Amino acid sequence: MNSTQREDTSIDNYTVSSARMEFDKFIVPTVTIFILILLFFFMLFPLWMILKLSFFKGGELALANFTLSNFKQYFTTAYTLRSLWHSLYISAVTTGIVTVIIFFFAYALTRTTIAGKTFFRNIIMMPLVAPSIVQALALIYLFGRNGLITSHFFHTDWNIYGATGIIVSEVLYCLPHAFVILFTTLSAVDIRLDEAAESLGASPFKVFTRITLPSAKYGIISAAALTFNLTITDFGNPVVIGGNYSVLATEIYAQVTNLYRFDLGATISIILLVPSLGAFMLNYYISRKSFSMISGAARPFIPPTRRFKKILYSTFCYLVAFSIIMIFATVIIGSFVKTWPYDWSFTLQHYKFPSIGGYSAIWTSLWISLIVGIVGSFITLIAAYAMETRKPYFKQVVYFFSVMPAAIPGLVMGLGYILAFNKPYYWFYGTPWIIVINIVICNFTLGILSSVSNLKNIDSSIEEASISLGGDTLSTFFKIIFPLSRVAFIQNFTYFFMRSMTTISAVIFLVSASVHLAAIEIIMLDNDGWTASANAMCTCIIAIVFVMLGLLHLINKWAGGKTSKDVMATS
Amino acid sequence: MSKQLVLKNISKSFGSLIALDKVNLTVEPGEFVCFLGPSGCGKTTLLRIITGFEFQTSGDISYGDINLNNVIPQKRDFGIVFQSYALFPNMTVSQNIAFGLTMRKMPKHLIYKRVDEMLELMGLGEWKTHYPSQLSGGQQQRVALARAIAIKPNVLLLDEPLSALDAKIRVRLRAVIKRLQQDLGITMIYVTHDQEEALSMADRVVVMREGQFRQVGSPWEIYKKPKTSFIAEFVGTSNFFEGRKKGGSVIYGQSSLKVSAMDTVDTETVYLAVRPEDIEIVGTTIAKESCLASNIIDAKAELITFLGPVVSITVNLEGKELTVDIAQKEFAKKPIALNDTLHLYFPPDAFHVYSEIFRKLI
Repeated sequence: MNSTQREDTSIDNYTVSSARMEFDKFIVPTVTIFILILLFFFMLFPLWMILKLSFFKGGELALANFTLSNFKQYFTTAYTLRSLWHSLYISAVTTGIVTVIIFFFAYALTRTTIAGKTFFRNIIMMPLVAPSIVQALALIYLFGRNGLITSHFFHTDWNIYGATGIIVSEVLYCLPHAFVILFTTLSAVDIRLDEAAESLGASPFKVFTRITLPSAKYGIISAAALTFNLTITDFGNPVVIGGNYSVLATEIYAQVTNLYRFDLGATISIILLVPSLGAFMLNYYISRKSFSMISGAARPFIPPTRRFKKILYSTFCYLVAFSIIMIFATVIIGSFVKTWPYDWSFTLQHYKFPSIGGYSAIWTSLWISLIVGIVGSFITLIAAYAMETRKPYFKQVVYFFSVMPAAIPGLVMGLGYILAFNKPYYWFYGTPWIIVINIVICNFTLGILSSVSNLKNIDSSIEEASISLGGDTLSTFFKIIFPLSRVAFIQNFTYFFMRSMTTISAVIFLVSASVHLAAIEIIMLDNDGWTASANAMCTCIIAIVFVMLGLLHLINKWAGGKTSKDVMATS
Repeated sequence: MSKQLVLKNISKSFGSLIALDKVNLTVEPGEFVCFLGPSGCGKTTLLRIITGFEFQTSGDISYGDINLNNVIPQKRDFGIVFQSYALFPNMTVSQNIAFGLTMRKMPKHLIYKRVDEMLELMGLGEWKTHYPSQLSGGQQQRVALARAIAIKPNVLLLDEPLSALDAKIRVRLRAVIKRLQQDLGITMIYVTHDQEEALSMADRVVVMREGQFRQVGSPWEIYKKPKTSFIAEFVGTSNFFEGRKKGGSVIYGQSSLKVSAMDTVDTETVYLAVRPEDIEIVGTTIAKESCLASNIIDAKAELITFLGPVVSITVNLEGKELTVDIAQKEFAKKPIALNDTLHLYFPPDAFHVYSEIFRKLI
């Protein structure tokens, strides 16, 4: 005890530095203000420019300039108005098809004992690794004018261009997004409810319609809303396979790039914003609600499925998986053969990109994506930490603006960026940096949401323990919170990286004569008739994303194993 | 060295909900104070106000002659032990203990020395390179204690530190904490809803209910002289009777019970509380000669529960259930069978008399 006493006196000489604590008071407000400025300047300001240009003559803000003539022109010109009906039609049909397919697919993976679940789960997620153009490219190779199946096998004149093509490609593009939602919902709902109903004498059909469907209703609505939002805002697929069939997204692009009608582009952006915002808000509202449905008592054990049902569900899942594999196989094989579908000899000639971008576009995409990945996951983690744990003033405001980007179609945001920043004093305009900023902002929502949910898993006493021991904000963050968030950080990095490699609509307005991006090159190549090279470029992106996924998987295993286990054990 | 911690008129409201209502307390240096109360009584809120994680709506809190109202938690130098241990999962036992010292920019060699002392003090030497997830709950809480004590806190605050642990380990750690407090002379404030914990460890118990201090006193006082019917029920257990006052006695049914503490109330309707172990069974635990005849009531044994050290007998007293505890040794000498009629003796000084009865929360 004596030694303790002596040591005690020496501890009295060391106290928590007052200067450091004074400095510490400014950290959270600074971060909050920084995030607010970021979102105001790079999200609200561009949106404001679009609003201004669509509602005011010449974009000059004055009462006398207020006009609805742009909207009048849009709604009275049959040629432009049809893009709205096309968009709504395509989105509605796609939503219906995707919701039904994915419900049964997720049902098969969560409620039946079919074999190969891991395989199906991996395959259904595959569309995420490629730009939303791969579907259209493949469908053209299979069912186009010179399609393998249409002209080669069946010698028919029918082809897939137009509405059918857009719908099929959008369905194949939206599957993984809807799957994530319904898979979570169906795994979370307690399977014992079904068993209880069965034990009370309900027929399997009754159980399905009275118990299974209603218990998953929020998930179904949420998945449908997300699909609708994704379809109506997608640009890549319709521009390639739509032909003359215009939708809102392609119409915006045509007005701006072909006709230089920025005002009409802005007006159509507003029109596009209405349904996409509606779908987003429905999804957001529903997904908040559905969390309360998730029961902690959900049991993973699934009773064996009857033979007939099993065969039926297996066949269905294989069909869905086959369609997705077919898409990727077509594009990849198509990039290596001389002349699809006539000359199947192997060649690398399509990888000698004829456009100015070429390989430099791939490198630009790669380094931009690396930066986006690091910056995006870091900023969202810091913002989430400042908001969630330190509860600053304006927390609700920051939160509201943080989820907003997901509601804004990438194309609209891109157009807003031109209108807002195409001034000589914005030095970053026309450089890769504006692309970095744009992609980070466009994907801010998911980054924030996943960081917040990760931080919620960390016991709040851990933070308080650090503070009570004298830990300031920076020490607490870097010594404790950041190491504990490593797994979530890597996941967020993956997300930002993939989005950055594959996004088209957000950045199509931002590439310039000097800045080329791989995903945009696909459209350029296809547009100029170099379809096989477009496939080759697409294959390059897929390959890079896959390599990165593999690397991150290894890093995750190496860095995450211990930490994640610890977090689990203590939370 | 240590100083007084003074809470003066502390109030806290969350919107219209009053969590704390003008509470006053002076914690002496080296004292062990327990906040005891049911959940929602405001005890954790009060602890969080002392730590600085929550701010009082009004009132003052001071340590020695320093007013703490505007002092941030980092500068209060209070150690905290949490119910969930709150160890840093990414750090080893040693690194956890060293954290507070690192934050104080203590030189490395002194940190090592201090950490080693703490490890030895808490018997954690062989675990120093382990991660929290590799330790049992009891070991983790000992690390948390070591981490909080390492910074030599002015006051050590413990927020239900044992409630996540197994019963056996809980009792063992109780002794560890009590001994630490005695040996190191640390001022401790301990929050719990477990009356046994409070009674066994504290120098002073503060019984809280609905944001107020209902009784402050030594464990002995709280148990033997509960100020309100709520405390009589919440700390230990009590049987309650409702009766009418008549002179120095209380009329209950057919009986007229003599009660010593009659002058503490002046209402006509009174409530009597009597602890199960204070009721005697004439012929078993007490001889008839030593009883006051008026305080003997007959009742039938309806349920006999063997609890180890005591045997708890539920009797039916004029339609009301009543619990009588007798020592297992007494029971062994003269066993009682179901449906036996027992002569129960209520010593006049065993009664606590109240003018009101708290509404039992169900």
